[in-house]
Amino acid sequence: MTNLILAQCFNGLSLGIIYVIVAMSLTIVWGLMNILNFAHGLFFGLGAYFAYTVVTVTGNFWLCLIIVPLATGLVGLILEYSLLRRLYGLHVLYQILLTFGIALVGREIIILIYGPIGKSFYPPSILEGAISIGGILFPKYRIFLLFVGILLIFGMWMFLEKTKYGSIVRAGTEDSEMVSCLGVNISKVFFLIFGLAIAIAGFSGALVAPIRAIEPTMGWLILGICFAVVVIGGMGSFVGAIIGGLIAGLSQSLVTLIMPSASIIVIYLAMVFILLVKPRGLMGIRD
Amino acid sequence: MLVRKRFEKLYILFEGYLSTVILTGILIILPFTLPYTALANEVLIFSLVAVSFDLCLGYTGIMMFCQAAIWGTGLYATALTLLHFTQNIFAAIFFGVLSATILAVIVGAIATKRAHTYMVLITMAFSELIYFIAYQWDDVTGGSDGLTGIPRPNLEIPGIISIDLQAQLNYYFFILFFFLLSFIIIKRITISPFGRILQGIRENEARAQSIGYNTRIYKIVVFGIAGMFMGLSGSLYVMLVRYAHISNVGIDISGNIIMMELIGGMGTLFGPILGAFLFTITADIASAYWDRWLIILGVICIVFVLFARGGIWVLMRDLGKRFFNVHPPQRKTTATFYGDKLEKSTGGQI
Repeated sequence: MTNLILAQCFNGLSLGIIYVIVAMSLTIVWGLMNILNFAHGLFFGLGAYFAYTVVTVTGNFWLCLIIVPLATGLVGLILEYSLLRRLYGLHVLYQILLTFGIALVGREIIILIYGPIGKSFYPPSILEGAISIGGILFPKYRIFLLFVGILLIFGMWMFLEKTKYGSIVRAGTEDSEMVSCLGVNISKVFFLIFGLAIAIAGFSGALVAPIRAIEPTMGWLILGICFAVVVIGGMGSFVGAIIGGLIAGLSQSLVTLIMPSASIIVIYLAMVFILLVKPRGLMGIRD
Repeated sequence: MLVRKRFEKLYILFEGYLSTVILTGILIILPFTLPYTALANEVLIFSLVAVSFDLCLGYTGIMMFCQAAIWGTGLYATALTLLHFTQNIFAAIFFGVLSATILAVIVGAIATKRAHTYMVLITMAFSELIYFIAYQWDDVTGGSDGLTGIPRPNLEIPGIISIDLQAQLNYYFFILFFFLLSFIIIKRITISPFGRILQGIRENEARAQSIGYNTRIYKIVVFGIAGMFMGLSGSLYVMLVRYAHISNVGIDISGNIIMMELIGGMGTLFGPILGAFLFTITADIASAYWDRWLIILGVICIVFVLFARGGIWVLMRDLGKRFFNVHPPQRKTTATFYGDKLEKSTGGQI
């Protein structure tokens, strides 16, 4: 039993890392541009489908880790340039409606191209199988996922905290008008950061694609969970997103042991509990 | 000049009760103009949700994303009552409305702890919670198969009235009764002092608070009222289609309701009815020809957000005013989201 719990904890960690990454890219867009992106889940799903295409066409999994973020990022840039740009400064409602429309159209186009039935593909042969440590089986691919995920989160943290561009983004989150007064072309920053966040969402979609079914509705599922993660962790906090994501991933996989049918429900219940106890979220620093 | 005065009088009258009378007239004719009556029933049911959502978004400025969860709760509660407890139509509707109201108040009480965008997040997460409960609790809700064979009882009050509701047209007028009742109540709420406070909250919540109103309580009450009518609509819907399906609590329905609101016009009460009408008809026609008809609706939604944020009703009203050259006394009743600047401006690029 202890072995089972440890193995599930590990699974929860690898799942949680994905939630952390997607929720982080969501909050970067939200914090900087004040856009609650309902299409964020779509890009996650799009990444998985792109990965499926790349793997079935070229047979090389490693290639898709490079192509998918570029492709989804490009889609994001086009959408920002053609649609989202027109709505800056308006009430947040319209941005929600617009991104909701985009998510709807995107999902239907995915069904149009790939069909409504789920797809799947296998991880590369080097990552198949599992490693046994002390009698517990750790699937190789999940170890890889955890490793890449931590690397990506560390990279995002370095980018935001240690680089000049990161400081522009952080300043823009505080007061984008002031930043533009200081001579920074804020519209260009919005453009690039949106593309970057979408690329990260697509990349994480490609990462989870080999270990789960790729379905048209996977975007909605992850979007709902990410919303819960953001509420749990609190807005505007890097650590909060990490804690929230890990809580979601761990509780989901641990509850699977006791009551598989409640595995997703427990995330939302955790969110309700946090809201009642600490309305700002665990690490929330601002509204 | 005299003509213009007359038009102004007419307009004020129209803003008052005349519009409701005209609406009633149109709705009585509606089922005879549509290809089949069930479509008219659907239009009316979705109009009711859209109108009650208008009270939230258009009048109070509450953006919620859990309409389907509330609507679907009413729907499932009515279905379960009819299947397991009683065949009395009023009891079935009552339990539907009650459960939806309770859920709406709970969601409202938790969601109003945070404002604006956060509320969207929380309500959307609640919507997912309800969806997964309905999906996994298959002993009660039937899971992904849903509940089938739900009867539609006849309207019978012993000794007073007995109406056969199995005919779609009879059922249409049954729905129409509830719809008009709800519509008049909601319209009355919007012009009451309570409704004015709600509009004050929409325009500037901080100011409403500083005057001394506990805005959170008002918001929770609005959640409850809207939830009540959404639950009513849901329970009427399940008796129309006679099965409860898991997609009825899904996020798509919420999106549809928001789109109806957007297409029709926020904060106008009549706009959402128009929106629900156009939406349902478009969906009905488009779904007959193309499986992926949601693309069309998504594109329509995007076009409206970009080019006609006020919705059709506001467009029509502005055109009408210009045509008749009417300048009625300024009364601010419609939502002004589209003029709003954010607290956090975005570098002057609009």
